Amino acid sequence: MFRSVLVANRGEIALRVLRACRELGIRGVAVYSEADRDAPWLEQAERALCIGPARAEASYLNANAILQAAEQCECQAIHPGYGFLAENATFAARCEQHGIAFIGPRAASIRRMGDKAEARRTMERAGLPVLPGSRGRLATAADARRAAEAIGYPVLLKAAAGGGGRGMRRADDAQALERAFDEAAGEAHAAFADGGLYLEKLVVPARHIEFQILADAFGATIHLGERECSVQRKHQKLVEETPSPALDARTRDALGRRVVRAVGSLGYRGVGTVEFLLDAAGQFAFLEMNTRLQVEHPITEAVTGIDLVAEQIRVAAQVPLRIVQREVVRTGHAIEFRINAEDPQDGFRPDPGTITSFVEARTSVAGARLRWDSAVRPGYRVPPHYDSLLGKLVVHAADRPTALAAAEQALGTLAIGGVRTTIPFQRRLLGLPAFRDGVYDTSLVERLLATPGAAAAGS
Amino acid sequence: MAKVLLDPIGAARETFVDEPTWSAQLARMGERGAALDARRATVRAGWGESYAARVHERGKLTTWERVDRLRDASSPVLAIGTLINDQRTFGAEARPSPGAGVVTAFVRVHERWVVVIANDNTVASGSWWPQTPEKIQRAQEVALRLRLPVVYLVDCSGLFLPEQANTFPGRSGAGAIFRANALLSAAGVPQIAGVHGDCIAGGGYMPIISDVVYMTEQAYMVIAGAALIRGAKGAEASSLGIGGPDVHVHLSRCADHRVPDDAVLLGRLREEVARLPSAACSYYRYGADPAPPRFDPRELDGLFPVDHRRSYDMRQVLARLTDDSLLWEVLPHVGPEMICGVARIGGLYAGFVANNPELTAHPERRDEHRPGGILYREGIAKVSQFSRACNDDGIPLVWLQDISGFDIGAEAEKHGLLGYGSSLIYTNSTNSVPMFSVLLRKASGAGYYAMAGLPYRPILQLGTPITRLAVMEGRTLAIGAYRTRLDEQFEIVAPSEEEREAIRAGMRRVEERIESDMDPFGAAARRDIDEVVKPSELRTYLEAAVEMAYQATGYRRVKNPRIWSLHDLRVLLG
Repeated sequence: MFRSVLVANRGEIALRVLRACRELGIRGVAVYSEADRDAPWLEQAERALCIGPARAEASYLNANAILQAAEQCECQAIHPGYGFLAENATFAARCEQHGIAFIGPRAASIRRMGDKAEARRTMERAGLPVLPGSRGRLATAADARRAAEAIGYPVLLKAAAGGGGRGMRRADDAQALERAFDEAAGEAHAAFADGGLYLEKLVVPARHIEFQILADAFGATIHLGERECSVQRKHQKLVEETPSPALDARTRDALGRRVVRAVGSLGYRGVGTVEFLLDAAGQFAFLEMNTRLQVEHPITEAVTGIDLVAEQIRVAAQVPLRIVQREVVRTGHAIEFRINAEDPQDGFRPDPGTITSFVEARTSVAGARLRWDSAVRPGYRVPPHYDSLLGKLVVHAADRPTALAAAEQALGTLAIGGVRTTIPFQRRLLGLPAFRDGVYDTSLVERLLATPGAAAAGS
Repeated sequence: MAKVLLDPIGAARETFVDEPTWSAQLARMGERGAALDARRATVRAGWGESYAARVHERGKLTTWERVDRLRDASSPVLAIGTLINDQRTFGAEARPSPGAGVVTAFVRVHERWVVVIANDNTVASGSWWPQTPEKIQRAQEVALRLRLPVVYLVDCSGLFLPEQANTFPGRSGAGAIFRANALLSAAGVPQIAGVHGDCIAGGGYMPIISDVVYMTEQAYMVIAGAALIRGAKGAEASSLGIGGPDVHVHLSRCADHRVPDDAVLLGRLREEVARLPSAACSYYRYGADPAPPRFDPRELDGLFPVDHRRSYDMRQVLARLTDDSLLWEVLPHVGPEMICGVARIGGLYAGFVANNPELTAHPERRDEHRPGGILYREGIAKVSQFSRACNDDGIPLVWLQDISGFDIGAEAEKHGLLGYGSSLIYTNSTNSVPMFSVLLRKASGAGYYAMAGLPYRPILQLGTPITRLAVMEGRTLAIGAYRTRLDEQFEIVAPSEEEREAIRAGMRRVEERIESDMDPFGAAARRDIDEVVKPSELRTYLEAAVEMAYQATGYRRVKNPRIWSLHDLRVLLG
């Protein structure tokens, strides 16, 4: 097992990883930017080093500084968290040169899945269903048109180096596609330094279902069930739950087996999430794979009792997986609400500022447990340089109705003062009949926002 | 610290080349590239459609089709010697000899790199022209030095007789092909032969020394064709009758197996290769995976200034050749006119030596700047040490040339560049590690030698469409030739405008002569460059070259990176 691990991230995920290190008896080393100099999570680390000014490129994305910090502190491994360098194949390769274990998959896996067009082909060959779409990248607008004609409009042009909902454009006919192609390529080049595009059939309405997988360095692969992540605003997830109301046990097991077989054939290592689209006819199609820990991992941990971060660290330390598939048992229902420092009444504009007060969430619903993954506390200044996530409220109960009831109470009691938050909006979502009934798709938030007075604080 | 720490190099193209310059540079390379493509197409077409049709009518495949079926679907066909005999014609009928009538290329078969030597059956029945024997021997030499299996696709009617004086008798003539066969066998290098057609005389001898020989039903091997045999007409004997599979597979055992046709034969050759040891490349990756550069290698086509006298950032070139655009630059602060470093290419370690075309500071007089693309004392010393270390460590060396030459003048002589240069030459001459040279742009004078040019036996020497290979630039030579008529500033001194014009014209003629000498296509036609490739193709060729250097084991030193001599250099010299 590692003696010392460097956590190359910040905020709630840094706190999460440091906790896992402590529980495994590992020295956690934190790195921070100037903007996070007095951050509360640093107290959880045995050592903390400043790696640069506030700007992410100069600090949390500064591979040189992070590698040097790891060398200086004699760390055997680096945990990248999510975002920042978590899916940077070059960074993973450099860690290898240093003899420092990158807690994640091999650089080649990251690269393969990071090219979304390539990932599609890889998973199709590995036996997963994919949406009708182009074979690999589109070299020209003419290629795009041919591909679109073969599968039928409307289509979605996607950036090969994108992912997470970024760099996508809808086209309903050939003219629109022609226009969109060059614009999309330009945007992709600007955002990702790679203007490559691919194309898929646009499927609406649809649900976003993702499977959590865990694989060790010796070829053992298991899945830990799915998460439903259809509550999204502009492709950013707001609420996630498990199990998905849309799946029955048979479907889950069948798809889970296929996912395990596919991922197992790729020599993958660590945690990963395989994302699917579920259409109205009940057909699944692979969208992309995320080769890192996800923000919403707590709901999977809640229902399975498996500590995903600890497992990540064990896998990286060349410890064989001790859990076999049949031992993975899910209990109850869990829902996560992402609480962001954003103003729902002002187009969700980020609202950085100082937290003046904090009242933790509570519920009196029997058997319900709450988990709050957050680094904020009164006095904490939310910096403007990074994402606006304040914390994740996770509710776990014996079944969905109980979880919903507990969630209502929890969101009703959770109070963060000093910044605008998305708590009122989450409460509105919770109250929507479609959500309560578990019959919703990725258009849920859009439809809510389209109704007048939707973003106003709920009762 | 025995770590090999590679640092990121390079930046997005937009940050160092503006749009108009980029477009102009890309367009220029595009033009030259198109000229290259046209010549490649000419070679590919052999003697033309009608000859290909004739081959097909007889139920056979053309040579290029055979190479395509031999290789793995995912393998490129990396030819060398494509332009040999380019622009030359032979005899009164002015016959061309595209590719010297033979295809020599590297392809992967069952993931193993092999050297393919395939007579072009659409060019004078695959016979041997002037330079054909040398082209074949060059491919055999690569195979011998890197211990790569050789696959001969024999379809050869022997010497092209009208030119026999240039191909038969000499030290490197046709006979030397069989000598090379013998040396390859003696070194334990596998040789596999497929006999596809009419193999007469030299063509008949070609496959015999190979370890295993397959013949199609249509193929024959004869010392002399039926036409030269007494009584042959009377007895209605044919070459196929006296030298076909009936005779050689069963009676003489000069061949081992008979197969129905070309397609089946190629399948059998693939099976033979599959029996050979697999490539050791993944062993020498030490757990890393191949990775593409972070910047698109195709951008290389636009990085070179249109004016060959202008400089550019060589590290941007390296960033588009190396895995993840990572490089451990060794001794960057000493001899900055040279860049020496270790990188991975296709996951395998290689040493890079590249000229820095930009101005650099004089080591003692810091505010004085010296032109790039020149060798000064510190740069030479650095390169010598680096070359020795890579040789000690078994790290293949890639020499990226853009060099005008050594420094000249009082300081150069006082510093003893003659000596330092000779030390570098000595090192390169006695190195055993595989070396590959790439003449990116200028390859001038003693600088070309110092940077492991062809006389120093790189395994391969590649050029680009903008290579300028000559003892010196035309202008320099013209200045030298007309020295007595020029003043201190190299301006013409003449009593009349007429005389001045005459001298100007004379100097121009000298420059033009050198300019034409420097044409890379001409150099390739004469075998001074093994292959001209577009800069955008360099990464593919170099990746293959380095893989080939690590494919076989047991014949050359490969030290594990923990104990590289390079680490000692860093400790001692910082």
